Parts: sequence; C-alpha cells; structure tokens
Amino acid sequence: MALLEIKNVSKFFGGLAANADVSFAMEAGMIMGLIGPNGAGKTTLFNCITGYYPPSRGEVLFKGMKMNGLEPDRVCKLGMARTWQKVRPLAKMSVVDNVMVGALCRTNSLKKARELAMEQIRVVRLDHKIDFPAGGLTIGERKKLEVARVLATRPELLLLDEVMGGLNPAESDEIIRLILDIKKQGITQMVIEHDMKAIMRISDRIVVLNSGEKLAEGSPEEIVANPEVIAAYLGSD
Amino acid sequence: MRNPITQLTGQQGLTPVTTIIALLALASLYAIPCFVESPYALHIMILLFLSTIMGEGWNIIGGYAGQYSVGHAAYFGAGAYGTLILLNMKGIPPWYGVWAGIGAAVILSLIIGNICFRLRGPYFVLASIAVAEIVRLTVLNIPSITNGAEGILLSDLPPFKIGERVITDFISKVPFYYIGLTLAVFTILVTWLIQNSKLGYYFQAIREDQDAAHSLGINLNFYKNVALAISASLTSLAGAFYAIYVKFIDPTTVLPLDLSVQIVLIAIIGGIGTIFGPVIGALVLVPLSEALRSNVIAQSLINSGLVKEDSGMGVFLKEHLAHAHVLIYGILVVVVILFMPDGVLGFIKKLAARRKRGDA
Repeated sequence: MALLEIKNVSKFFGGLAANADVSFAMEAGMIMGLIGPNGAGKTTLFNCITGYYPPSRGEVLFKGMKMNGLEPDRVCKLGMARTWQKVRPLAKMSVVDNVMVGALCRTNSLKKARELAMEQIRVVRLDHKIDFPAGGLTIGERKKLEVARVLATRPELLLLDEVMGGLNPAESDEIIRLILDIKKQGITQMVIEHDMKAIMRISDRIVVLNSGEKLAEGSPEEIVANPEVIAAYLGSD
Repeated sequence: MRNPITQLTGQQGLTPVTTIIALLALASLYAIPCFVESPYALHIMILLFLSTIMGEGWNIIGGYAGQYSVGHAAYFGAGAYGTLILLNMKGIPPWYGVWAGIGAAVILSLIIGNICFRLRGPYFVLASIAVAEIVRLTVLNIPSITNGAEGILLSDLPPFKIGERVITDFISKVPFYYIGLTLAVFTILVTWLIQNSKLGYYFQAIREDQDAAHSLGINLNFYKNVALAISASLTSLAGAFYAIYVKFIDPTTVLPLDLSVQIVLIAIIGGIGTIFGPVIGALVLVPLSEALRSNVIAQSLINSGLVKEDSGMGVFLKEHLAHAHVLIYGILVVVVILFMPDGVLGFIKKLAARRKRGDA
C-alpha cells in the first residue's frame, strides 16, 4: 500500500483552478520531487495535503486514511509534517525552544522534549546556536531550524517546501546532505524545489505540475528527456 | 553564556541567589502589617496586589498566548458579581461564593473564546471589546438579580472562622492585605508553573506564529481557550477580592471598558510575556494614579516654583490634573510603546545586558 495517495485532487479559488485533477502515489522511504514553473500549484497542493485548505474535489489518503477536512494539527499528529516556503521561526523563542515546540507533539515532558530537540538540532548542525533567539538567525540557519523543528514532531512523511530557496551553493549542498540523511532514517519526503540539479540528484521520482495539472511523472532521467517538460520550462515555439 | 534576548523571554531557571532574594522579599512583605499601621499605606499595598493579580491574569492570554483581549472587565465583573450576589441573596460567605464567580468567568470565557478565536489580530481585539460591553449592558438590565445601575452594597461581611474560632472579622485592612498578598503570590506561582510547562511553550508558539504552531501539532482553538479560561479565572479572583474589599460594586466600576484597558496597561507597561512584568506594571501604575488622584504632582509642580499657582497652567493643573489620569495613561503608553517595546522590565534587562557587555 502506498504511504500517500493523492486521488484527483482539485482546488479552486473562485474560477481559478490552482490544482486540477492531480493524482499520484508515494511509496514509503522514497524522495518525491515536486517541480513546476512559478504558479504551477505546488504549494497549494502541499496546503491541500496538510490540511490548510480542504481540497475542492478528490481525496488525500495517508496510510489508507482519508485526510480531507482534518485540521493541520491532527495531520501532524498522524505523522505528516511540513515546512514553510517562507520560513516561520518563532522569533522571540530560542532555537532549542523552537524545536522543543515540535517535540512536545509527542511528549508532555519538557525534559524529554529537550532531549529530542537537542538530537534534531545536532542532525541539522545548529548546536552552536541553541540559546540564540530564532529571530536573529541567518536565512540558511532559519531553514535548518525549520527542518529540525519539523523532524522533532517525529513524522513518517515530511513535506519540504523550497528549503533551498535563497541559499548559497555551500548551504544548498548542506541541505542536500541533510535530506539524504533524513532518507537514511527511513523518513519519506516530498520536496518542492526550483534548483533542478539538486532535485535530480536527490529524487527517486519526480512529479511535474504545470498550471495546476500534472504534466508528467517518472524517474529523474525520464523527466529530463520529456519534451513536454522541456517545453513548459523553456517555452515552445 | 545566554544571549540577552533569550533572557527577555524569561526562559531561564531559578538560581539559588534569586530564590533566596525572592523568599526574603516575600517574608518581608508578609511582615509589613506588623510594622506599618497607616491604613492608607496598607490600602496602597492592597491596590498593588489587586493590580498584580489582574495584570498576571491578563498576561496569560495576552502576554503568553498573544491574544490581546480588551474585554477582561467581563471576567473581573463575573468574579465580583458572582461573589456578592451569593453573599447578599443567599448569605453564602465569599470564600465559597468566589468559586461560583470563577465558574461564571470560566463559562463566560469559553463562550467568548469560541466566538472570538475565529478572528485574528485587530478583529479579535474588537470582538473582545464588544462582548465585554454586551456583558456590561446585560448586567445593567437585569436588576432583579444584579440590582442594575444601583449596584450591590455589601452590608455585612461574615467573620472568617475555622471551627468555632474566629480567625478574622475583617474590621481592619490587615486581613485584606494578607488575602491580596496571598492571591498575588498565587497568580505569580501559576504563571511560573505555566511558563515551565508544555502549556507555556504552546501558548508562546501561538503568540509567535499561529500557522507554524498549527503545523507543529498544536490545536489552536483548544489551547487558546485553555489560556483564556486560566486568564479569566485569575481575573475573576481579582474581581471577587475587589468586591469584598471595597464592599460596593456596580456596572460602571467593575465592568467598564476603562477597566479592561487598565488591565491591559498593567501588563504592557511592565512587560508582557514575563513572570514579573505585571508586578512592575502595578508598581508604576498604582502610585501614578494615586499621585494624580491626590493631586501630589500638581501641588509639587506649584510648590517647586516651576508653575505659578495663579497662572492659567497652575489653575489647570490644580483643577483638572486629577481628572486627567486617562490622558496621562495615554501619554505613558505612547512613551512605553515607542521607547520600551518590551515594557519597563524588558527595558531594564536590556540596559543591564548592555552594561554587562560594556564591562566584558
């Protein structure tokens, strides 16, 4: 059984179809790349999957459970967690407190939450900043904090929304290593990314969205060879 | 070393030194009535405790959970009316009646919360004001229970007994001093417990970013309602205490918008989202309002020769400054928000941190 199954999901804003009839499935343990030009509906699809928007039509099945209409906090408790394209640090709280908020999803004890948080902070290599207020971090550190915080909720499926956006090449490389580390822990991931090189390197499968519809799905090699995808990105004659 | 800004959020543990200082301060506060006999001095202290209780109460929902309720007079009124109605109509002593007051405040808070927490930011503020006004008008218009605009005068406060022994008959201000102090310490303790628990983390996460909090498994509606219910019960405790201390309540003294604003100011001026912010706020606001009321400021300006008594300014100060406390409050708030966004407590801490860095 697929870990996540998206069946004919559509999302309309008034007359505009941000997602139209999107279907695909994800097996446990894989990394799925989600790409597409600006405005293709990638983030909207994330929002439909994680409970921020109810899909207008269609179904989202996680471990066989229907997720439509569940609130984001329930979705998180069930084991599906997301990061934000525009990072959302809890600015006045310290780095460790930020990650503890995530960890408290699975425990009521502050002591346990702190241990869990420290573990994840080490995974993303932010140990030297534990007592700094999150509002004072650089963009690269904020992205890492976002990942640590969401890992602390112990997800089975992680949805990463452009965690490499706005980073320099060295920082991007670090994030790529981090994503592969997370995969080794057995956590399934869906990754939205604009950096084609990066996405080709990490993804096991790729779904391409264009104007809200699924344009193509396949292995990275199939996607780069797909004439429709090339047309969507570069424009056709 | 901890970063100074982390200290502002107050997430550090107690050191032995601060614990000892706190205990000594507490002991001397309990000893004060043995040395001070002036009823006026005790009265000021009681007002300080009252403001502290209200400020700490609001701080839970406003300071920690970041939901700026400007309708806390409703809970203050619920505590005051709940306690006095039971006492006057059924003769139930206030130490039992207060539970009814708290219960009424919690029920009210859950109703208000479920309506208003759909809204965010300024819309929530406006809704909280509106609902508190509805409560005030309702109380005003059911005279059969609340005695309407005439208010309730407490004629007879029963003595507090344990067994047959009379502990106190409430003739002097001393018993009220001890009740106020104990309640204030209690609310500070509650705040400390919340800050050092999952609740505190969740409240602050909601304050910092609701959507992020939601995605991290926090049930926004549930935790906001919990914060409001705790906040409302502490505020109603202040209302009940006020009622038995002043012995007269009516809708314009325990339910007005003024009071809601004043409750907010205590926390904002002191420093929101910190344990001792509201205490500092009370220490600033209570003496200030007393000084304005007794015209100390105007008189000292005239006495010092800065303003001539018979000049237009002098007449204005003498005649009207006492009534201008709202104006002065307004100016104070503007100053605090512009120059000390983390309140007086945050400002002091920032200064201390800067000094420390200068030394190092």
